[in-house]
Amino acid sequence: MDLKKQIKSEIEKALSLKELEQLRIKYLAKKGKINQLFKEIGSLSQAERKKKGQEINKLKEETEKFFKEKKVQIEKKISFKEDRFIDISLPGKKLQRGHIHPLSQVLEKCEDIFERMGFSVVEGPEIENECYNFDALNFPKDHPARDIQDTLWLKEKRRLMRTHTSPVQVRYMEKNNPPLRIVVPGRVFRNEATDVSHEVQFYQLEGLMIEKETSVVDFRAVIQNFFNEFFGRKVDVRMRPGFFPFTEPSFEIDIRGENGKWLECAGAGMVHPNVLKNAKLNPKDWQGFAFGFGIDRLSMIKYNIDDIRLFYSSDIRFLNQF
Amino acid sequence: MKFSYNWLQLFFQKKLPNPEKLADLLMMHTLEVEDLIKKSDDWILDIDVLPDRMPDCSSHIGIAREISAILGYKFKAPEYKFSEEKKIKTADILKIEIKSKDLCQRYCARIIDNVKVAPSPKWLKQKIESCGVQSINNIVDAANYIMLETGQPLHAFDYEKLFGKKEKKEIIVRKAKRGEKITTLEDKKYTLDKDNLVIADAKYPIAIAGIKGGKKAEIKKNTKRIILESANFNGVSIYRTSKKLKLQTDASMRFSANIDPNLAREAIDKVAGLIKEIAGGDIKSGVLDFYPKKTFPNIIKIDLNYLRSLLGIKISKDKVVKIFKDLGFEIQRESEAVLILKIPTFRRDICIPEDLIEEVGRIFGYENIPSTFSILQKALPPKNLDLLWVKKIRTLMKGLGFTETYNYSFISDNEGDFFKKLNKKLKLTELGNPISSNTKYLRFSLICNLLKAVTLNQKRFKDVRFFEIGNIFKEKEKRFFAGIIAGKTEFYELKGLLESFFEELGMVDVFYGHTKEKNIFWEKGKSAEIETGNKKIGFLGEVSKKILGFYNIKIPVFAFEINFKTLLDLIEGEHEYKKPSVYPETIRDISVVVPENVLAGEIIQKIYSTGGEIIRNVEVFDIYQEDINQKEKNKSLSFHIIYQSEKKTLSSKEVDKVQKNIIKNLEKNPQWKVRQ
Repeated sequence: MDLKKQIKSEIEKALSLKELEQLRIKYLAKKGKINQLFKEIGSLSQAERKKKGQEINKLKEETEKFFKEKKVQIEKKISFKEDRFIDISLPGKKLQRGHIHPLSQVLEKCEDIFERMGFSVVEGPEIENECYNFDALNFPKDHPARDIQDTLWLKEKRRLMRTHTSPVQVRYMEKNNPPLRIVVPGRVFRNEATDVSHEVQFYQLEGLMIEKETSVVDFRAVIQNFFNEFFGRKVDVRMRPGFFPFTEPSFEIDIRGENGKWLECAGAGMVHPNVLKNAKLNPKDWQGFAFGFGIDRLSMIKYNIDDIRLFYSSDIRFLNQF
Repeated sequence: MKFSYNWLQLFFQKKLPNPEKLADLLMMHTLEVEDLIKKSDDWILDIDVLPDRMPDCSSHIGIAREISAILGYKFKAPEYKFSEEKKIKTADILKIEIKSKDLCQRYCARIIDNVKVAPSPKWLKQKIESCGVQSINNIVDAANYIMLETGQPLHAFDYEKLFGKKEKKEIIVRKAKRGEKITTLEDKKYTLDKDNLVIADAKYPIAIAGIKGGKKAEIKKNTKRIILESANFNGVSIYRTSKKLKLQTDASMRFSANIDPNLAREAIDKVAGLIKEIAGGDIKSGVLDFYPKKTFPNIIKIDLNYLRSLLGIKISKDKVVKIFKDLGFEIQRESEAVLILKIPTFRRDICIPEDLIEEVGRIFGYENIPSTFSILQKALPPKNLDLLWVKKIRTLMKGLGFTETYNYSFISDNEGDFFKKLNKKLKLTELGNPISSNTKYLRFSLICNLLKAVTLNQKRFKDVRFFEIGNIFKEKEKRFFAGIIAGKTEFYELKGLLESFFEELGMVDVFYGHTKEKNIFWEKGKSAEIETGNKKIGFLGEVSKKILGFYNIKIPVFAFEINFKTLLDLIEGEHEYKKPSVYPETIRDISVVVPENVLAGEIIQKIYSTGGEIIRNVEVFDIYQEDINQKEKNKSLSFHIIYQSEKKTLSSKEVDKVQKNIIKNLEKNPQWKVRQ
């Protein structure tokens, strides 16, 4: 039959497995040409049908044979090409790598270090009320002390985006009896224009330790140990007078960077008796210290980043480096 | 705040350490010196005066006092001697009325006649200019000079310009009337309100009290008779007024911090003496001094054992006493362990024993406090479970090729309006004082800013995969977890990634169903609700073209968002380990023709529920869309049903029986047809 010749020549011309498959569908599939032939003979006499049927079956077998042979031929060609030579210096097929944000890595590291010193990690809400953010922390109303932290207020009265994670200390002290050691990581917000070292949102880590008796000496030990573990070397840490309404005495903590310059890194102090009273603790029975530092700032020192805005830019070129 | 090194030296006989060393000492014991600038033969220290030290350290005397305590040097403030003219008393020609007694604790006034208003002498000009104050004329400059020296803001008025009787003018300290106007010395107009304090003559305001003088009674070249004002105003009132009028001055800064009322009298005499020296004139006799409610020194008791325990140092009583004496505190009584101190009123920040402990600590030097670890190591605290899972989720997502990002907690006003149009029921939390229109609302979903991230990166990267864990703000603040993939990808890729994710967390029964509620992010029909344990935990889908258009995104984006807390509540701690069966499996294929919108999941569910325990797995291996020209759109789905029992080898008969049941159940739905 002409059909056989046609099929054979088309199969010969096939160059790829894909082409071959298309031809197979054309001829051998359920709705292919060969099955069509079976349908067409339905109208013939029984004897004719038997004869034709046998012919068509033969054609089918031969066609299948052609396909098999051609397939083996094409596959041999491919494997031949593949067996010969591979350029091992070409890049491999890489699986897409994911990345964890540098601030996450720093936060996790800080949390680990403090956990090993016996501090629990506690979290709190980002929207606070004025009471916990300022009043309970001994910020006098209508006083320049509140200006140190420019506040983002909600339209709702007396509610704001927390300016520091300190409110969580008060919340925690209200619900948990001392002695206690906690660190509070979290996002905080300031009503400030953004530039290389200022952002409208950033991360802080606050710490609080309340005991029957604990002193500035204990605090120095904790903070020194923290910086040593964080940077993996002995860090020069210095303490000088500062001011926070919620601590008295208050300190500023500087660390000496690798270039020898002192960098302001943390604020701290002994918890102010008013704060203890506001948290329903008796200052005669308990004393302690609190400290806080900016995670963004710490990350910028650690990774040598000069622009805080990069942390919130979602720029893959930046994030892919971590 | 700027201070002159040479000026500070004037207070000491002994030579002060060089400017760098002095700056260092101040920083380690008092306040930070932010900048040190050389100005011809002087050095200017820019000191960051913190709110608690504003009352006493906003003056050269205050800083000199600190230096004296740190170094142990004796210091002496300069004196300004003068003699008064005996003929006319101040009280004869001036009347002071304080109407708002609660807002003005003290008001001192003097009068000097026949002054010669002229440019200031060079030494005076230089001194105030080095501290950043502009030179105006000798009267105004003298007032500013004494302010810089003592910390007491001062003001001078031209007597003749006051409205009132020629022979006896009056000054009234009162609240402004609503709508009352004043033009200040800088030619700026302000409209005042009832809670703004003013200095007024018989009719009009002549100054915004404690903040800025008015143009009306300005000292000009021809001024002859001047009134000097040295007063004390309520800090809160000054702070509020200054903020409301958006007007901050050297005076308002000091008053806002509640300065010592006992400074006022000293300062007015000093400025009178200085003016007489440089501008001539006759000082009328007597000071008008309104000071009914006096401020007295605080008496504070300090227990030395408490001091030692808080600082953690074994400091001797003698050392402590010396520090207090050097700071100007008087020891009223002392015993072995307790001191009772009288605190001079210029230290408004010393009220409680802890304030005294800070004084000892800082003068002693925090660098001298050691850091030996004397606290016992405690048992490790319980881990924060939430953060443990956050960490685990981060690691999982990283493994699946996602990059973690931190976006802003805000969305812009444009975005807010856009999404409110898509969902009229959407309620947004608004900021009262946003920095810009970009931060007007708090984000109600993590997806908005994740989309912005795609917009940013689409030019440089053809495939983008982000995830974020953060708080969103709807009626309540909630922690959410969301992710997007964009570029050359499809819905099933995201679904596959989520499936791997849930598997890793040990969640075996995660079901994806039709979205029942209206979710504004998705392209119609291309989203699913993620459910497990009968609870909805989130959504995934293809982001709608409308939203992509709004964000200028030119590539397809698929996203998911999950309620973190709900997810956590449902995570099983460990995988359920299923022992593989030793008995052989049998696979039967089945094809079902169903209407287009029937989910494969539904069919699979039915097969499982009919077959029971002996069905180990059901897998889709073919989906065939029927002829699209047909009226009722149907599709044919083919499944491998894998039969296996844990207890025995299944016989053909048993499998056939179950298979028949499955077919029967599937065909219970008239629109479904099973093909063999």
